[in-house]
Amino acid sequence: MLKRYPTLRYILTRGGWYVITFLVAVTLNFFLPRLGAGNPIDIIMAKAGSGLDTKAAQAKEEAYLKEFGLVELDAQANILRDEAGKPVKTPLWKQFRNYLWMCLHGDLGTSFLNYPKKVLDIILQALPWTIALQLPTILFGWIIGNLLGALAAYRRGVFDGVLFPLALVANAVPFFAFGMLLMYLFAIVWPVFPAVGGYAGNLVPGFNWTFISSMGYHYVLPFFSIALILGGGQAIGMRSMCIYELGTDYVKYAKWLGVKENKILMYMFRNAMLPQLTGLALSLGSMIGGALITEMIFSYPGLGMALLSAIQGNDYPLIQACTLLITVSVLVANFLVDILIGFLDPRVKAGMAGGK
Amino acid sequence: MKRLSLLKIVCAGVFLCGCISCTANKGSEKSSADGFPREKTLYLAGFQWGDPNTFNPLSDWPAFPVGGNYNLMYEPLLVFNSVTGKMEGLIANSPEQTENAIIVKMNPQARWSDGKQLTSADVKYTFEIGKRFKSAMTAYVWDFISDIVVDTLVDSAAGDAKVERVSFVINKEGRNNPLVIMDILQNVRIVPAHVIEAEFAKVGGDLAEVQKLKFDKDPVVSGPYGLYSYSNEKIVLKRRDDYWGSAALYDNRLSKPVYIIHPIYKSNDHFSIALQQGNLDVSATFIPRIWMKAKEGVATWYKKEPFFIPATIPMLTINATRYPLNDKNVRRAMACAINYKDIRELAVSGYSPEILSGLILPFGIEQPYCSSEDVQKYGVSYDTEKAKAIMKEAGYTSVFGPDGKLDHVKNAKGERVPTMYVKSPAGWSDWESMVQIAVKGMRAAGIDVREGFVDASLYWQCMPVGDFDLVMQKPVPSVTPSKPWSRFDAVMSSRNWKPEGEKMNENQGRYNNPNEGSYRKEVDELLRLIPTLTDEAEKVKAYRRLNVIFMEDMPTLPLAYLPEQFYEFSTKNWTNFPTEENPYAPPQCLCYGAGTKSLWEIKSVAAE
Repeated sequence: MLKRYPTLRYILTRGGWYVITFLVAVTLNFFLPRLGAGNPIDIIMAKAGSGLDTKAAQAKEEAYLKEFGLVELDAQANILRDEAGKPVKTPLWKQFRNYLWMCLHGDLGTSFLNYPKKVLDIILQALPWTIALQLPTILFGWIIGNLLGALAAYRRGVFDGVLFPLALVANAVPFFAFGMLLMYLFAIVWPVFPAVGGYAGNLVPGFNWTFISSMGYHYVLPFFSIALILGGGQAIGMRSMCIYELGTDYVKYAKWLGVKENKILMYMFRNAMLPQLTGLALSLGSMIGGALITEMIFSYPGLGMALLSAIQGNDYPLIQACTLLITVSVLVANFLVDILIGFLDPRVKAGMAGGK
Repeated sequence: MKRLSLLKIVCAGVFLCGCISCTANKGSEKSSADGFPREKTLYLAGFQWGDPNTFNPLSDWPAFPVGGNYNLMYEPLLVFNSVTGKMEGLIANSPEQTENAIIVKMNPQARWSDGKQLTSADVKYTFEIGKRFKSAMTAYVWDFISDIVVDTLVDSAAGDAKVERVSFVINKEGRNNPLVIMDILQNVRIVPAHVIEAEFAKVGGDLAEVQKLKFDKDPVVSGPYGLYSYSNEKIVLKRRDDYWGSAALYDNRLSKPVYIIHPIYKSNDHFSIALQQGNLDVSATFIPRIWMKAKEGVATWYKKEPFFIPATIPMLTINATRYPLNDKNVRRAMACAINYKDIRELAVSGYSPEILSGLILPFGIEQPYCSSEDVQKYGVSYDTEKAKAIMKEAGYTSVFGPDGKLDHVKNAKGERVPTMYVKSPAGWSDWESMVQIAVKGMRAAGIDVREGFVDASLYWQCMPVGDFDLVMQKPVPSVTPSKPWSRFDAVMSSRNWKPEGEKMNENQGRYNNPNEGSYRKEVDELLRLIPTLTDEAEKVKAYRRLNVIFMEDMPTLPLAYLPEQFYEFSTKNWTNFPTEENPYAPPQCLCYGAGTKSLWEIKSVAAE
């Protein structure tokens, strides 16, 4: 029936696969953090139980087990105990059931390490910063990188001779080294930009010019520390894609026909873009995880640090929520690109209509 | 053309996201368009790591300045001066120890920020939360006190003013330990009974529910500062101009900084950068080679080594139940094999004075109990040859390879002795270097020990259950009236002895098993006796004996002496910080213990 609507059929098949991927990912998100040997209560007790006597520490630990739903309770909400008097731990499958139930109700739970902060609050506070830092840098690096890469492939000569090695270097330098270098040069040796923070230390966020300009000022170094490196990588990829396209028959044919150079460039660009688009989708999806290195180098606000400390402290609810967010955004971004490619690449449509 | 429009899009994106972040933080932020004036703001950092979670005084680990020992918002009855070793008055004063109780007098001028008087009823209420709920922070208090009795005196000197007197009755059936009661009096922060009880009433008296409240909207406090705003980047406190202590304790003077801002950095280097750039005034973090920052106006308590007042002992705790660590000769050989000078100079930037054997600091408030005569007689110092000799005498043969490196160790029966590992959290660089230097020394002396750096979460987990051969620890680091007793208790007490695999919160090396023939009953007896002693000469005698036993048995290997909190300050914007030359307050970072009074004495550079 769907044979008459190849695009729709394509979208539905893709969507189906994404749903399955999502379910598998959610299950992994739950079980993976719990497979490790670490245990969140011991880490919390290191904070809350220091200096306490053994017995007092035990009472406290049981209170946490109960509060975080890690032990079985009787009808009076007392902790169930085995014969030795030890609390009965809630089995993993029951925890998984509770987790799925909460997910369905949109409840991400309460963070263990940041108790009593809600996981949703933590994410809502950090996410805007992460998106503000990552989205423009990724787009900027991607667009500039691709444009320069295409130009270098087409023009060749001096332009390529200068750009290509530069892009190689940019691509090879690790994020942290480049970030630290920028900070050392432009915030310490020649202090034209601030070294730390997302805005000046004497401000509180507010909708006013002082704050927004301060934010812009603090944005410069983190922005370039990511964008330049990203752009370098994209330029290299795009350059080789374009060189490949330049050698194809359709370009040669168009040249013989005397088609205008700009038009040929457009054709070529469109075809070379396809693999780059998939790359963009992946990086846009995973950007939610935060630019941890950049955050640490510049003490920049964002989700990366929250996720790192959650993983270090086995803060299951926060890890689950972050990985869920990353899963969803990677899948959505990929799905969108898949659809886009369905429209951009006639081969996909043709394949769905003709084959199978 | 095209690139220009791209830039525009980028700018618009930044702008938009900025707006989002404003709305996201609106809940807790108040807007102040011009920013906080530098000359009236003190920047203080190193106490809050990660996002502030809650400002609930009943929470187990609330954000700065509610938890810990800080007294900017909620105040304890008394404060401890880590330099003089004396208790100083705050909400109460004149602590007095009798046979049965520790008695304090309430300061009748103490007030809550809503104008209500802070009375003994609040004190009683605060402590009794620990009686009502086993999981409350103050529950342990009732092992040490059995009752709180209040009576009223008429002070004829102050025009027949009525003064409340609160007696904390020593729990003689329980722990019988007045020393810890002193700790408690300077550690437990008094909460407003009228506010907290109203919250309890709302949730049917459930502590877990009350602990979920954040107390971040104009909380009722008694301290000199109130919570102004907070975000994941900083906590801002604002001076309370109606603070009761300004009149009662400071001759009607207000503390100097109007705002105290605690920025939250994500990397250790930022404290050093911010101090040198004048964006941070006081920091409590480890900054290596501090003398190189002096030209940027960064200073510490002492101008020369060790720069800070040493107060805590990072040490290697030994699992005394595992072979061959259950042999005290091996432990003693280990203590001889460590190059303490290298640790001091290379691992901790010279921030430690020379270390002596034993568990008592040979200076400051613990000095009277440390006997250099005993250290001479029973202690050890770095001497590789001696370490080798002890091992040999105890029947161990160290087999060195042709390259001169240790291959393995055999015992008297010719069996191979297992390699021992030192657990320490991966990435804690100063601890890593201490462990590396200790391991290098021990291997050179023919003791088969290796580094075992583990993930921090596994590190925290291994200690209570005793799952280690040796582990890097800094037991009970805060300076309180019960030092050095509490350090001995944390390292040597068999009061709650449990076998490996079950949790112990003190003596995690499981030294001195009471169920074995080698049990030294004397240790636990001394640990019980010392807190009850009032005669100074007897105390010295008891401490000396305990320290001698420590040196004989070596249950742990102390490595260096470090400060309770690092204390660095920048003189770019504020001056007159307390130092060795100007010791009007202890180096308690202007926010805890008796250090808070520095806030009334520092001077703003711009305002001069």
